[in-house]
Amino acid sequence: MPYWYYDKKDLLTTPSSRDGITTEAENRYRKEGARFIIDTGSKMDLGYNTVATGVVYFHRFYMFHSFKTFPRYITACCCLFLAGKVEETPKKCKDIIKVAKSLLTEQKFASFGDDPKEEVMTLERILLQTIKFDLQVEHPYGYLLKYAKCLKGDKAKLQKMVQMAWTFVNDSLCTTLCLQWEPEVIAVALMFLAGKLSKFEVVDWNGRVPKHTAWWDMFVEDVTMELLEDICHQVLDLYSPQTQPPGAESPPGGAARALPKNDKRPSVTPPASVSPVAVNTNKPTVTPVKNGADIKLEPPKMDPMRFTYPAYPGLAPYPPVYSAPPPNIPPPPRLPIPTGPPPPLVYSEPPPSRFPP
Amino acid sequence: MQGVSAPREQPAPVISTSSTILNMREKEKYIEDFEFPFCDESSKYEKVAKIGQGTFGEVFKARARNSSKKFVAMKKVLMDNEKEGFPITALREIKILQLLKHENVVNLIEICRTKATLHNKYRSTFYLVFDFCEHDLAGLLSNMNVKFSLGEIKKVMQQLLNGLYYIHSNKILHRDMKAANVLITKNGILKLADFGLARAFSVAKSGQVNKYTNRVVTLWYRPPELLLGDRNYGPPVDMWGAGCIMAEMWTRSPIMQGSTEQQQLILISQLCGSCTPDTWPGVEALDLYNKMELPKGQKRKVKERLKPYVKDPYGCDLLDKLLQLDPAKRYDADTALNHDFFWTDPMPCELANMLAQHTQSMFEYLAPPRRPGHLRHHHHVAGAAPKPPPAVQDSGYQDRVF
Repeated sequence: MPYWYYDKKDLLTTPSSRDGITTEAENRYRKEGARFIIDTGSKMDLGYNTVATGVVYFHRFYMFHSFKTFPRYITACCCLFLAGKVEETPKKCKDIIKVAKSLLTEQKFASFGDDPKEEVMTLERILLQTIKFDLQVEHPYGYLLKYAKCLKGDKAKLQKMVQMAWTFVNDSLCTTLCLQWEPEVIAVALMFLAGKLSKFEVVDWNGRVPKHTAWWDMFVEDVTMELLEDICHQVLDLYSPQTQPPGAESPPGGAARALPKNDKRPSVTPPASVSPVAVNTNKPTVTPVKNGADIKLEPPKMDPMRFTYPAYPGLAPYPPVYSAPPPNIPPPPRLPIPTGPPPPLVYSEPPPSRFPP
Repeated sequence: MQGVSAPREQPAPVISTSSTILNMREKEKYIEDFEFPFCDESSKYEKVAKIGQGTFGEVFKARARNSSKKFVAMKKVLMDNEKEGFPITALREIKILQLLKHENVVNLIEICRTKATLHNKYRSTFYLVFDFCEHDLAGLLSNMNVKFSLGEIKKVMQQLLNGLYYIHSNKILHRDMKAANVLITKNGILKLADFGLARAFSVAKSGQVNKYTNRVVTLWYRPPELLLGDRNYGPPVDMWGAGCIMAEMWTRSPIMQGSTEQQQLILISQLCGSCTPDTWPGVEALDLYNKMELPKGQKRKVKERLKPYVKDPYGCDLLDKLLQLDPAKRYDADTALNHDFFWTDPMPCELANMLAQHTQSMFEYLAPPRRPGHLRHHHHVAGAAPKPPPAVQDSGYQDRVF
């Protein structure tokens, strides 16, 4: 099986960067593509697992191809289409395209070509080969719930923390974290962040042993405070204003000069579509510190809507089980029931004696 | 307009940034030349013969070009009639085969592709590449020259149950147990094959029932709960098939060859007795129990009717336990493996020596049809768009899938 985790320096030398796309621009394309998968998936009532799987395919795809070769929105559709089938929540290709069209500007949708469905079909084969048919992807959600069950403390606060962490996991899809760390590590880091922000301090947990210095020692090894903070910062950066470097390339496949609405004033207002999270334009004061006890994180100013993520369950006790609509079972033809004793088990027709003929 | 299929003749719109992205021809060249690091070209294998026709494509025997000794089976993923791209059934099979790694489960080596060229409209064909197995059980049983001793039958069943124990432990249902899907290498190692209908299952939590399609399993091997419309089934569906296959080791033909679902239920009742709430608590709750005319007053005659063939009393007893109408009473793989049948003389014995006398590869697909009227139930995959029956229908041959 391929190894899907990359060092930070690998993430700077991607096919896109070799193709002349700046890292800032690439990250923006990744974010927009991921966001688009989330929005399209949510609008189609696809579960968070399907959406997250689609996003992971998307990020992996662009570790082998450039955004110049494959425009991001159609790739995003293709990833969602495949993820729907893999996660047993299939959606028709034409329905995905219909929703995509409703979410995109006409100019962006132009990148889908004359026959969008055919484009997606061709792209699907390229996608499958690129990801080596490594279809099964794990996400932090399940770990988040599993870990939360072990933590002791005030129930309401725990609930709030988990809900916040869940939202961070959703938003983390817009970063390249899934290309850097296993879902377990991301879950731990974002619970750590949510704990800090919601002031839920974990002092005790089920299964605690003396050598544990933090609750996550039960689940992951060698996770340092530096690592946790680095992961948290990558997510928090989503909420901070972005400055588009002068002369930054326009997104390929999208509108060239006419910037999409959301990107009009990127230096002042981060696009509202990045997250349902209300955006704090002042970067939260996060001081990297060696000792976690000293960390001072101010929660970003939050909209009350923050924790109502429309299509995603806020906190589902279990991921919803997909149940297919019942197939139409025609009544079986009725045969008369023979009366009398059953026929003897006779295998009259002898199997051929010579083989092969 | 920078799409893959942007019309060539049309002048580029003013807003085009054609300098930043590839035009169509450049893109085609890119696709043609891209060396997918994880997906080899199928040309690394050389087809030797067609050996089967599966649920979603043909199966070939092939030889690795870099080694004349290494044989593989290549199963083509049929996509021509797919409106929804790569078939969801093939995706399921791939996911499951990647998960299952066991001596008694067929091994998926890799997935290969043909090169994308103008000729195939830049769409590759995919092949699932498996370790090659020389025989399948249906083929061996249809050849009267192949004689299994009691110890050899035990070895076959022990390996089959080991495979089932492994897949069930991994929460996978095979859902298409039949002799043709049981492969045996020339060294006598049994492999469960064709996971084209397999799926993951979960243990139903209280108040929540699974809704799986019951349009699965080849009719002759289909258990009574599926025939009665159960949609919340589990591993016992495979255990019924194991029982049918076990009996077939002696009868050498499938023991219940119904031509309709109702006839199949009649045959089952004639062997295992009528389905009643007494013998099978809960049967009355199944969808079709009251909608179908079912034989009444039939007595259970499993041992009585199979004894002339099976003779070994332990074998008869295990068959009796596997061919239980009530899935809750049916033995699971673990219990079956602990049955005295496997722990009394003659003990299970290796098949390699016996198979060494038969150098010719035996596949059911290549054998003349054992019996007319074989029906593989064309199932509808849950959740997938309804589709017409597959274009490639086997004519006269039984489905044989790796």
